[in-house]
Amino acid sequence: MAIETLTIEVAQEMAFGYTAIGAGLAVGLAGVGTGLGEMGIGAAAVGATAEDREMFGLALLFTVLPETIVIFGLVIALLLLFL
Amino acid sequence: MTEVMSGPAPYIYVSTRMRVRKAKLIQREEYLRMLNMGLPEFTRQIEEMEYKREIDELSASFSGVDLIENAMSWNLAKEYQRVIALAPGEMKGFTRDYLHKWDIQNILTILRGKVQGISDGKIRAVLVPAGELNAPALDHLLAESSAERIIETLPQKQLAAVLSAGLAEAIGAHSFGSLENELYKYYYATLIKAARGGMKGGLPFFKYVVFEIDIKNSINLFRIRAQGKPNANTSEIWIEGGSYHTDELERLCSVANLDEVIDTLKKKIKSPVLIDALESVREKKPIYSIEGMLIAAQLNQMDNVSKRNPFSISPLLVYLERKKYEVANLRALARGKEAGLAPAVLEKYLVM
Repeated sequence: MAIETLTIEVAQEMAFGYTAIGAGLAVGLAGVGTGLGEMGIGAAAVGATAEDREMFGLALLFTVLPETIVIFGLVIALLLLFL
Repeated sequence: MTEVMSGPAPYIYVSTRMRVRKAKLIQREEYLRMLNMGLPEFTRQIEEMEYKREIDELSASFSGVDLIENAMSWNLAKEYQRVIALAPGEMKGFTRDYLHKWDIQNILTILRGKVQGISDGKIRAVLVPAGELNAPALDHLLAESSAERIIETLPQKQLAAVLSAGLAEAIGAHSFGSLENELYKYYYATLIKAARGGMKGGLPFFKYVVFEIDIKNSINLFRIRAQGKPNANTSEIWIEGGSYHTDELERLCSVANLDEVIDTLKKKIKSPVLIDALESVREKKPIYSIEGMLIAAQLNQMDNVSKRNPFSISPLLVYLERKKYEVANLRALARGKEAGLAPAVLEKYLVM
């Protein structure tokens, strides 16, 4: 059985791989969190809008508020990949 | 259409709709403004509200205050049917069970009317098809020739059994009072059974049912005390399943000291709103005022519970009850103004 030695190149590739996994998790988990947050807000927003059309603008604003979490995740991912 | 019933989203959706609808109901300030209006102005105001469609629909059959009253009843019935259609999952079953009291009220109205020989048209005018029995089902019952046939035709067989057991006595005594008591006992027993049936969301519903029974029993207690018959047999009027034992309630009827009665009632109550209401009963007040305060306390407590449990059946029940009292208040205002009652007198009969 061949014994693999950890060269600098292999270590660098592994580090990049872990960074990519971290970046993916940052965006993915932030997306899941956003989805969970938007589930309740979205349901309430649709309910409120169904009763009063004038609430549409405000309801939409509240619904998209959790989107900021994805942006945070994206920023972290970009920092991990390019810094 | 596929109905998505998983997760909390449907509950949040319906709870929000109910909260928006509740917010649109008439507020205290508006009632106070209406109290000072003349009948024509009040009628115009009602016609501009959400009752407009029903007023237009019924304007060919009724006029004046009768039109307003029937339009409001019709609006209430349609609104309750819409709420049942909206309610998701287990909430639908609980809502149906809760609105079953309208079936009891309608069946009793039909039976009373039939026994007294009142015409079908007049009976139909006072029915509120807000429960499981819709307008065609009630028309079908009205078309039956006798009280016995009406009971046989009823789709709810358990309810029919309770009616059959007490009908002969009610007709013989020329009073449906005892039968009415039995029906409401059956109704609350059904609610408790449904709430404790192990279904999701049953606990808030159960707590509400117990609270409503406590309010009903308290109102009955103060009514009996107001009649001044301490030794009267009251065993049949108490509804079981509440916080108070029926024997205790019966004993409280004959206790002369009002403070002792209130202290006893307070011992088993946790709701601060109801405790405050009971405290204010210490000052001797007329029975309609006590009833109004207890009902207002019930509604306020329901509001509090619905805020603590926003995604349960509570917001839905609060809306149903608030809507019922809005219609009752507007009806009282219309009839009171027609009879020429002073605003100060009318105000005492409103639940605000």
